[in-house]
Parts: sequence; structure tokens; C-alpha cells
Amino acid sequence: MSTTTFIRNEDLKGLVADLKAAGVGVAGPARTTDGAVDYRSIDRFEDVVLDAQPRTSLKQFFLPPTEPLFKYRREGSDVAILEMPAVQPPRVIVGARPCDAAAVEILDRVMNWDYKDEPWFARREATTIVAFACPGGDRSCFCTTVGLAPDSTRGSDLLLAPAGDGYVVEVVTPKGQKLLDAFPKRFGAGPGVDATKAYRDKARASVDGHVPGSPEVIRQWVQTHFEDPFWSEIALRCHGCGGCAAVCPTCHCFDIVDEPETLTEGTRRRNWDTCQTALFTVHASGHNPRHDQCGRCRQRVNHKFAIYPSRFNEVLCTGCGRCARVCPAGQDVTEILTRIVAMATGQGGAA
Amino acid sequence: MTELRELARRLLSEGTVNAVLGWEEGPRGARPAFVTDAAGADRLIFDPRCVHNLAAYLSPRRPHLKQLGKVAIVLKPCDAKAVAGLIRETQVPRENVVLIGVRCGGVLADPESTEPLSEATVADRCRGCPDREAKLADHLVGTAGPGFPGPSHRAQKVEELAALPADQRWAFWQAEFEKCVRCHACRQVCPMCFCERCLADKTMPRWIESSPHNRGNFAWHVARAMHLAGRCVDCGECERVCPEGLPLGLLTRKVAQVVADRYDFRPTDDPAVPAPVGTYRMDDPQEFIL
Amino acid sequence: MDATPADAANFEPRITAFVCNWCTYTGADLAGTSRLQMASNVRIIRLPCTGRIDPMFITKAFERGADGVIVSGCHPADCHYTAGNYHARRRFAIFRELAGFLGVDPGRITFSWVSASEGAKWRDVVNDTVTRVRALGPFTNFRRMVADPATVSAPSTEVK
Repeated sequence: MSTTTFIRNEDLKGLVADLKAAGVGVAGPARTTDGAVDYRSIDRFEDVVLDAQPRTSLKQFFLPPTEPLFKYRREGSDVAILEMPAVQPPRVIVGARPCDAAAVEILDRVMNWDYKDEPWFARREATTIVAFACPGGDRSCFCTTVGLAPDSTRGSDLLLAPAGDGYVVEVVTPKGQKLLDAFPKRFGAGPGVDATKAYRDKARASVDGHVPGSPEVIRQWVQTHFEDPFWSEIALRCHGCGGCAAVCPTCHCFDIVDEPETLTEGTRRRNWDTCQTALFTVHASGHNPRHDQCGRCRQRVNHKFAIYPSRFNEVLCTGCGRCARVCPAGQDVTEILTRIVAMATGQGGAA
Repeated sequence: MTELRELARRLLSEGTVNAVLGWEEGPRGARPAFVTDAAGADRLIFDPRCVHNLAAYLSPRRPHLKQLGKVAIVLKPCDAKAVAGLIRETQVPRENVVLIGVRCGGVLADPESTEPLSEATVADRCRGCPDREAKLADHLVGTAGPGFPGPSHRAQKVEELAALPADQRWAFWQAEFEKCVRCHACRQVCPMCFCERCLADKTMPRWIESSPHNRGNFAWHVARAMHLAGRCVDCGECERVCPEGLPLGLLTRKVAQVVADRYDFRPTDDPAVPAPVGTYRMDDPQEFIL
Repeated sequence: MDATPADAANFEPRITAFVCNWCTYTGADLAGTSRLQMASNVRIIRLPCTGRIDPMFITKAFERGADGVIVSGCHPADCHYTAGNYHARRRFAIFRELAGFLGVDPGRITFSWVSASEGAKWRDVVNDTVTRVRALGPFTNFRRMVADPATVSAPSTEVK
């Protein structure tokens, strides 16, 4: 689908107002109380901040940090299971970054692999993602290395790119078309995609070449260097804080816990988890197969660039660079990948 | 910087230590460095971007750092207080580590910053900091700037909050805890969180629910602040690392003030001063006890 | 705090008391055997020593529905284990201020020293706490911490 249309800045404000009036939840990148930008519920488009990458990704809208799966209640010798709602309220995300939209689509693979994750897809179905072509990134961005781009449409329902007094709207999915059809007065004739070329080219130039090489080169080296001293070396500075996983758009591991609330009632919840902590792999016996940070640092790279590709034919990374920005110890994914590429192509070894 | 590098080179080449922990230029500003050979000593830097509290790497909770052998560590005066805390609580034997003190007149809030050090860019903990060099250090290098006047914004915010009615304080913290995703990054970077197995990771019984809802988050942040009473050196690493931007330093700061007011204890780089929690005086104030 | 006048009229506070085995528990026992009349809102949990009472116990009591908490043990210099109450005193002093800073009304937590011979003092501690917490109303703060959507299905019995 490659229909395009146009929305004026004023109509964008109006569209958000229309959605709110129709009872649709709207979220977008906006300032938080501590001055950062994060995806959050918004009341009006004026609050959307487009020139800074949101601190955390979109995944929280589909895989919340904690969510109840069901509640249980003991009744005599039986247990009653109380289900959570199977349908989620409608929501539109306005101002998603293309890398964050793509991440959600990448995660659809694992969420519908051996089992269809019902809460995930209930939220997916209820949510329309309106992405805005990225204005460009900093030195930690490398989306073009992993097959994406500042203006890629993957995972978006609509992709907007600025031109004139508004945005050229690319209709990516039928769900995006449905949004257009619901508010036809807000969209109209305007400049075509060509008018956004300079903007897109500039954005691409700002992220290109930060990680040379290809995901395939990285995958092959990672798969064949499980015991390489490189992993111990990069682990030195790692605190195992898991900040990288918290802000990562594609890290999706979770833990399931039963939380008793009274003697007879409780909730089964699923919560975010991360391979960067010792607890992630510790066995009931106390033995921990990933006994120190070396194995945990390797796991994060391994899962993203070797394990996921071998199962789903694509890397579990969108090149958003958040892990490098959040790391309190200056661990940088672009540096790690660049060194792997260098080692793989015979141009360097472990320092 | 030359002085620091020469010292590191000497310690490494003479075999006094196997590694020097300091700072280096990373892809995004200053970052921790692990120098294991004399040639690498030239990587070491010290400038106002060196905000990280490297004492965290001495914590026994990091078994993968044992591969380094005996280490020397570069310390700002505030970092030395954390090392003193680890020695005080018998987590690090003093003779196992060589301490290189760098004289310091304040650091930036952000290791990536390219701004000059100023009243506007200085890390909050440096406001009012009287310490220019670590008395605990084996070696001292560099020169210190004049420092910055206090009080810290954090201390002011603690006072502001304390002056609010209880229900407004409750609302403030509930809104903050709402953001917490319980990654426990605050614990991981903390030089004084040295437990082999954290209370938050224990399941029998489960004192702190692992779920990042406010019930679990409240329990976690209470436990964290309590466990840091008399330990926190106000380095602010917990707040810097938080991927969700929680003002965690307010809790530890509040607790530090209580400990200072009631038990006359302030973070110090003298390991011989007893920890305020774990010791007592028979005449400790007890005005709140019926 | 959040109670309507009607709630407040019928409100019976639930108070959890963490007490040491050697002094306060025995003191409470004395109050009973002396047939002292007191409010019946307190559930006692007996521990070896106030030094064993982690502040997490108090948090957990509030999480699970307590409207108020009493922590009580041996007077200074009377600890069965010499110094458990001295250590506890520091911990509780810090916890009390931290909890207040987080917005918990300090009136919901009572700390007291009650010896084995102070049955009447235990009665007063209980009655004072119940009166104070009754005036504060039900402690709903912790009950509002988890905002899950309502469950939908009619309960289906599945597991035997």
C-alpha cells in the first residue's frame, strides 16, 4: 500500500482533539516532570516533542512493565480463575519514531511463535501507530546497519514526513487507512513524497556508517566465538544494571509471578525481566549457569545478533542507540559491534 | 594528567598492581577504564566529566573483576568515602587495594557534557562539598579547583517536600514510583549495595514484591533507602543511572540527614569511624517512643 | 483521611502489633490475666526481640491492610539479648522519618517500651493507638497502589 495524502499542522492538532473527543486514548512523545521526553498519554498535539528521541521505547504500550494475567481465588478445595479483559481500549500513538514502530513489528514474531501472546496482540490490535520520519540521530544511532532507516515504514500504520505547512502522510496499513477514513476532513491535497526527500536524506546521512558491516557478519562471528576473551573484556565495566534492557525497544524478556493479596486471593502477573541480572538464570539449587557478568554481557549481544536471527531471520535490534545513551558506565553498542565486525573481517582482535 | 599516567605506569610496570581502574575517553564522553598494562596508562584521563563513582567496582558483588588481580583505583574525594565505607563494613581489605586520589574541585552532572564546569553545569552533589582530596589515598595527584558553594538543590528539594502536608508528599512519591520499572539499576551501580543476595531477590518470604506496581515499588524504595542509612555517600549514581528519571537521591539524602541529625554521622573517608547503623549509644534520642 | 463520615462512624481499625517475646508479649499477657479491659483491634505478632523487627514488617502490614502498626519491646537496658532494642531504636527512628517523608502519617505507627510488668501500660498503648488511628480513618493509601483492570469472566472453577 503506498497511497499518500497530506495533513496540515492545524489539522494534526485537530485530529488529536477529534480522537480525544471520540474517546480514543492518545499517546506521544512529551515532556516528563523531570524534563526528559518520553512516550506518554497526551491531551493535545501541542505537547508532542518531535526533536528528541524519547527516553524509553514504545514497548511499554504493548508489554507493560507489569500486567495482571489473571486473578485467582481459592474456594474450598477449588480455585476460581478470574480472567482479565481480552479486548483493549483503542489507542493512537502519535509521533512514534520509526525505529520504535519497527521494534513492535519485530517482536510480533516472537510473540506469535510457539504461542500467540493474547495480551500483546490485544494491545496491538487496539493500537494505531502514527510514526513521524526521524529528523536524524546522534553518534549512537545505527538503524541503517540493521536494515531500517530514519524513514522506514515498518511497524507503522501511517508515516508522516514534514513538508510545507504540514506532513506528507504515507498510508502503510489498512489500519492506517481506517484512521484516515474516520477523520477524512483532516486530510487533503498537498505536496507529494518528493517534497520530503531532502529531509529524509539529511536524516539518513546523520546515522549512516556508525556501525560498518552487516548483521550477517556479526552473526557469524558471535556464533563462533562463544568463549572469546572479548566478552570478559567488555564485561569489566558493566554493572549489570539492566538499564539497557529497560530502555531497549526490543528486549522483551519477562518473569511470571504469583502475588498473593490475601490468604485466599491473588494475582498472576508478568513483569519485565532482564538477562543482565544474576537472578535471571539462577537455578533453584543456587547454581547459576551465567555466574558472572561476562556471560550476561555476551548473552545480550548473542540474543540480539545471533539467536534471534537464527530463529526469525532478523536481528533483535533497531539501532536506536538507547542502550549506549543510558549506560552509566559508557558501554556503547556501536563500539562493540564495530569491534566485532573488525575481528570478523580480520582487521583487529581483542585488545 | 601526566602525573596520573606516570603513577599508573609505574604501579603497573613495577608489578605493584595488575590493573588500574580510572577513566578514559569513551565514545560518549568519559567512562570507566580498566588498564592492565603499562602502555595503556596513557588512556587514563581525569577531568570534570569523570563523574562515575568507581568504588562500585570494588564491591565483592562483582566476581568477574577478580580476574584483574590486585588493583589500584583512582578516586575523587567523594569516591574515597565509598571505599572507606566498604573497608568499614569489612567488604574490602584495605591492603588489597591501592588508592590513587585525584584532587577535585567538582565534576559535571553529565559525563557526556561538553560544557565547561560552572555553577550551572556542576553535579548537584558538588555544591557545598568541602573536600578537595582524599585523606585515605595512598597517592595524591593533580590540582583542585576552588569548588562550588552550597546548598545542593537536592537538599533544598528535601526541605520543600518535608514542608508539604503528608498527603501531598504521598501523592508526589506515588507519581514518581509509578515510573519505576524495577530494573534495580539503582542497586547495581551503588557502591554501597554490596549484599551477595539482595532482599529484593529473595522469595521465601517475599518481602518486596518484584512487580513494578506501586506496592512493590514502595517496598523496594523504602528498603533501599533504609539499607543505605549511614552508608550512602550521596554520589548520586542511583539517580544518574535511573532509566526512568526517578529522583532517588532525595530518599537517600533524607535518610542521610536523619542519620546526621540524630547520630552525628556524616559520610567520611575515615574507615575507623563506626557505621551509625549497626552501632548505638545507650542515650540515643527516643522522643518518639512511648 | 479518605473516610466518609458514615465510614468513620462504623470504622474499626485493624492494628498489627509486632512485639518482643520477653517484655511486651509478657506484658500483654499480664494485661490479659489481669482482666484489663482494652480495645480488641490489635493482632499481636510475637518475635524474639525488637532487634528482629525489620521495618519491612511494618510496610508489609500496611500492604496487607493494616490501618495502624504498634512496635513494642523491652525498655533500654532490659533487652534479653543485651542490645537488640538499642539497634532497633536507631532503625525505627530512621524508618519513622523516612515513612513520614514518603507521606505515611506518623500517627499510624506507635513505638513503645512495655515491660513484662507493665500490663496497664500495654492497655494504654493499645487504647491510645486505636483511638488515634480511628480518628485518622481507614488507611486506604496502600489499597490504591495497584490499578489493575477489573476481571471480566464469571469465575470458572478449574483446579481441583
